[in-house]
Amino acid sequence: MSRPSKLTIYAFAYLGFLYLPVLFLPLFSFNSGTIVAFPIKGWTLDWYRKLGEQDALIQALWNSLTVGLIAAVLATSLGLFAARAFVRYRFRGQRASEGLVMLPLVIPGIIVASSMLVLFLFIGLKPSLTSVILGHTFLALPFAVSILKSAFDDFDASLEEASYDLGVGVFETFYRVTLPVVAPGIIASILVTFTVSFDEFVLAFFLSGNQPTLPVYIWGQIRFPAKLPNVLALGSILLLMSVLLLLLAEYFRRRSSSSK
Amino acid sequence: MTETNIIKLRGVEKRYGSFTAATGINLELKEGEFFSLLGPSGCGKTTVLRMIAGFQEPSEGHIEIDGVSMDGVPANKRPTNMVFQSYAIFPHLNVGDNVAYGLRGRVAKPEIEERVAEALEMVELGGLQKRGATELSGGQRQRVALARALIMRPKVLLLDEPLSALDKKLREQMQFEMRNLQQSLGITFVMVTHDQYEAMTMSDRIGVMFQGRLMQVDTPTMLYARPCNREIASFIGEMNILPAAVQNEQAETSMTVDMAAFGKIEIEKNPNVTNRAKNIIVGIRPEQLEISPDKPADYPATLQGTVSNVAFYGENVHYHVKTETFEKPISVSVPNYFHTVDFQRDDKVWLGVQGASVIDLGQDKQ
Repeated sequence: MSRPSKLTIYAFAYLGFLYLPVLFLPLFSFNSGTIVAFPIKGWTLDWYRKLGEQDALIQALWNSLTVGLIAAVLATSLGLFAARAFVRYRFRGQRASEGLVMLPLVIPGIIVASSMLVLFLFIGLKPSLTSVILGHTFLALPFAVSILKSAFDDFDASLEEASYDLGVGVFETFYRVTLPVVAPGIIASILVTFTVSFDEFVLAFFLSGNQPTLPVYIWGQIRFPAKLPNVLALGSILLLMSVLLLLLAEYFRRRSSSSK
Repeated sequence: MTETNIIKLRGVEKRYGSFTAATGINLELKEGEFFSLLGPSGCGKTTVLRMIAGFQEPSEGHIEIDGVSMDGVPANKRPTNMVFQSYAIFPHLNVGDNVAYGLRGRVAKPEIEERVAEALEMVELGGLQKRGATELSGGQRQRVALARALIMRPKVLLLDEPLSALDKKLREQMQFEMRNLQQSLGITFVMVTHDQYEAMTMSDRIGVMFQGRLMQVDTPTMLYARPCNREIASFIGEMNILPAAVQNEQAETSMTVDMAAFGKIEIEKNPNVTNRAKNIIVGIRPEQLEISPDKPADYPATLQGTVSNVAFYGENVHYHVKTETFEKPISVSVPNYFHTVDFQRDDKVWLGVQGASVIDLGQDKQ
């Protein structure tokens, strides 16, 4: 065996710097003491057991799931049409509109959040889960579009033409050919956009009013040191779920690009 | 085979911005014929096919199918079906559902099953209904695409380079099978191809396209024997093209031409040639030239030259003969069967040609 090169050492240091802090989360969630600091006093599963007893937390989780699911379906539906148009047609202003759709990725969240709050109040929409859903749809759209664009890139345009040629109309073709063929891309898009919405804090903080989503609820709990280990337990579960969802999404995304 | 026209194209033109893909297309296709659109890639043949199918609207002109104008009629309402170059087999459906696709919701279930079985039988894929679309070989995909189109009982079947994705052996086999299928069904087939052999072996008639224009529409035999100009003469098979001067044009069907060092010879006037002039070009097929060590008797036009290249093809041998008069070497093809005399490079040889083998190609545009 040769000695690890400097580059290998650097790579491991880099990965450690990036991900070690994240690993502290599950580590301290098993700590029996309430103070989040070394040394660890003892091991316990109590914090996980007590999660089920907290009604406000369950309500916040439920809010997040609802918002995430609706925002994911909305963003994916809108993204489906946009992605098909971007891949299939060449039109004036195409690059500009593609850029516009991708814009939420680079605008600072705080700017989007405050301007949305102003806009929603202006049109008479009180801060609520509805406004969070609208905000998250906007935020998740670029993710949906880029995933679905790669699904349409691998989609042979003559499949749709073959369907028209066999006497089938535009809408039936979309339902019978386009949707099933890009289905893995659609599933990947729903999973990713759901995760984007589920993790999102800034927009939800501004727009959720008295119906907090999970990240907003957790933020509220951090002020109470006694509740902190509970939050860590919850955070560990969410971390695990997020990773699983993204792995699943990646699996579907790859399947969509390999089935030509 | 009746003599009614199933498809009529009148003055059809297709432009994309400033680019003209096809122009001045006038064409009448007979019911039950196998017609091929032949031409190099980018000549506009696929555009014409897609306009017949209804995927593209002509910028100008009109298309009629079976006496009905196709102006504004979308692809799904036309009595045509198409076999795509990529075959476009639906990847999420099995063979049976692919073939049944166009009938679903329009025809009763038991009838669909019966017709699918029948269509698969016809393309020799009987019993493969449950096979997945991704488990098919190239040849099988092509057969599924054929069955899926033919099950619709179209008035016209359109084929876009249907054999280009197959290997050589399979391609030759499918050429015969498709020709037999077309003859037993009696449906009009319109095929687009860039392969002249494919077009020649399968078609009743061929339309040759260059740069968006339909240059000649004729039977394979006439296209080979009486091409209307230099481009077609050299695109279909191989052709030696020589300059010639018309000596005497009085006769109705024949004329005497002077082929430089070859001498004077009486040849037939090509009815397909439109631009007549005093200085013309003529074509001679390589296999119609006599090559011998001595001056051949009974040949009105002869010329001496030197063998500059020999290529053995198995069924025949190709010689390139360099002459003093002509810039390009003259190509001669001799069937292996007659190959009693071997010529080597640098051998002195005589070439001979009969008047019937010299094709009048009219005035050269170049």
